[in-house]
Amino acid sequence: MSELALRIRGLKKQYPNVLAVAGVDLDVKRGEVFGLLGPNGAGKTTTLEMIEGLTDPDSGEMEILGLNWKQNGSEIRSRIGVQLQSTSLFNKITPREALTLYGGYYPKARTADELLELVQLTDKADAYHITLSGGQMQRLALAMALVNDPELVFLDEPTTGLDPQARQSLWGVVRKIKSEGRTVILTTHYMDEAEALCDRLAIMDHGKVLTDGTPAELISQLAIPSVVELSFDGGAPSKERFEALLGTAIEVRGDLWEIPTPDPKSLLPKLLEAAETEKVPYQQVHVRRATLEDVFLHRTGRSLRE
Amino acid sequence: MLLWRQFLMEWKLYSRDRAAMFWTFAFPILMLLGFGVIFRGGDTPRLSVVWVQPAQMTPKDGALLKTLEQFPTRLITLSPKEAETRWAKGETAVQIESTSDSFRMKVNSYLLAQGQMTAQVVQQAFLISQSQLQGQPLPKLIPVSMESPGHAKAANYAAFLLPGLLGMNLMSMGLFAVGMVNVSYREKGKFRRLAVTPLPKWIFLLGQVMHRLTVTLIQTIFLLIVGRLVFGIENQGSYMLLAVVMVIGTACFMAMGFALSSFADTSETYAAISNLLFFPMMFLSGVYFTLDGAPKWLQQSVIALPLSPFLKALRAVYNDGAALTTHVFGLGIVVIWTVLCFGLAVKRFRWA
Repeated sequence: MSELALRIRGLKKQYPNVLAVAGVDLDVKRGEVFGLLGPNGAGKTTTLEMIEGLTDPDSGEMEILGLNWKQNGSEIRSRIGVQLQSTSLFNKITPREALTLYGGYYPKARTADELLELVQLTDKADAYHITLSGGQMQRLALAMALVNDPELVFLDEPTTGLDPQARQSLWGVVRKIKSEGRTVILTTHYMDEAEALCDRLAIMDHGKVLTDGTPAELISQLAIPSVVELSFDGGAPSKERFEALLGTAIEVRGDLWEIPTPDPKSLLPKLLEAAETEKVPYQQVHVRRATLEDVFLHRTGRSLRE
Repeated sequence: MLLWRQFLMEWKLYSRDRAAMFWTFAFPILMLLGFGVIFRGGDTPRLSVVWVQPAQMTPKDGALLKTLEQFPTRLITLSPKEAETRWAKGETAVQIESTSDSFRMKVNSYLLAQGQMTAQVVQQAFLISQSQLQGQPLPKLIPVSMESPGHAKAANYAAFLLPGLLGMNLMSMGLFAVGMVNVSYREKGKFRRLAVTPLPKWIFLLGQVMHRLTVTLIQTIFLLIVGRLVFGIENQGSYMLLAVVMVIGTACFMAMGFALSSFADTSETYAAISNLLFFPMMFLSGVYFTLDGAPKWLQQSVIALPLSPFLKALRAVYNDGAALTTHVFGLGIVVIWTVLCFGLAVKRFRWA
């Protein structure tokens, strides 16, 4: 049995106007939660769809659970679970019916009750799909991805559009899936989600993997592990004069000044003194460690949310 | 087994969709009841004539009114003032008034068709009443009998309408319940969700087709029963031939739905494309009325669309108990459409 749940090399996909995936290599170990992090349009979903067998790649090799699509399509389908970015169901199907129906498509299936319990939808088991909240629909979609007791689970932006509470509850389910020994591959453009859930991740932009590793590795690769933030009440002032005075680069983001630094301890007194003399009208000072967001910013010069 | 489950699930979910149930089962029956009753067969519709009450009835007035009674007219006697009010409201098609030596007749220019017909009837009645007054022999009228095109027993409008509704049902089943539904499945990603399971996709489609077939069968049986119980109309031909025609039509419109669905990426585009076929067929193929008065080129071009020849064959069997030998050409057109659409569907049908 292969050690890797997924191994891909040189995966490429050209769409009429854009090279969506421009040569991606990935190794995902069994039992880990692996994240593809990147902004919208980075090629995450196209990569996932090629792995799931929904889109044919132009070139590249893929091994899924040691199998390949050409020879073992039907077996791969039986052993993977897929949650698409949006799951469309009949308005008037109930979660119990949907799970039973889809379970029937597989050689072996978990019971609807067991799955509903897992995603905490037992009390909505017989409600029409259209009456579920966004978070409940998303949890049902997740349960449907688990209906065949899959070894490898794909989740495409599982929490996009959900409120914080619904996200937390979905994260809980993902952790449970991992604890059952399944491999999970998920895409997200939330760096906090990637940090909270993923054992390892790959950061993607413009169809390429920029870097991969554990969240801690990626952050420590940055030469600047800390960021000092000055917040302003309604719009940050122009930074040029102050930048020269301080001798450090400042990044303006919304109503924040962000000052990346390897050594916040020595920067802070200088900064406060200079701010005093220059009468910079800041509201608060905040020192935080660098996040995946900073890694992405550092690598691309752009924010994930842009 | 999988197919059977898929089929049952289609029915279960369908039975929860009240709007779809209404449009498929109740609506055609309501159409039949509504129009069938309005144009209830047997007696010709009565033409109403407003008669302005003169101050003094003369013998010529009496003779005319008496003769009019023998014609399919409904006489509304009103005072000059009431008659004027009714005329001003636009409700009167024809109004007659007695003058010292003759009559005066007004025809509403908005209701020309009905008015002219009524006016002719009144003219006839006038001639007859004149002859009577002068003691001359009465002019003879040509006897009229009512027959269906195939010389079967006199049929009413419901008998004409019922096969038309059966055709409409097939067309909306194919274009909407099959074509539109599959476009929306593709658009919303329902096919993609199925594609990541090991279910062979043909099972899904076949389950859908079997469901639509049973729906059509039930619809047809409902309409035939209502036609028989309410209007006393029934299939004059063999049920075998009726079934043959219906099966050809079902195949044709179902294939058309699948074929059309491959030309649209969104439901909006599909609605535009399908309406381009649906409305011309609905209005020009003789569902509700014949196209006798339409220009020749229009009548001939409509034959090229499948609904018109299909309805001709269906009515020949249902209303006249005819064999299909004279409709081979028409049914051939339907079969050609079926084959072309089926080929297109197989070649172009997309899941994503």
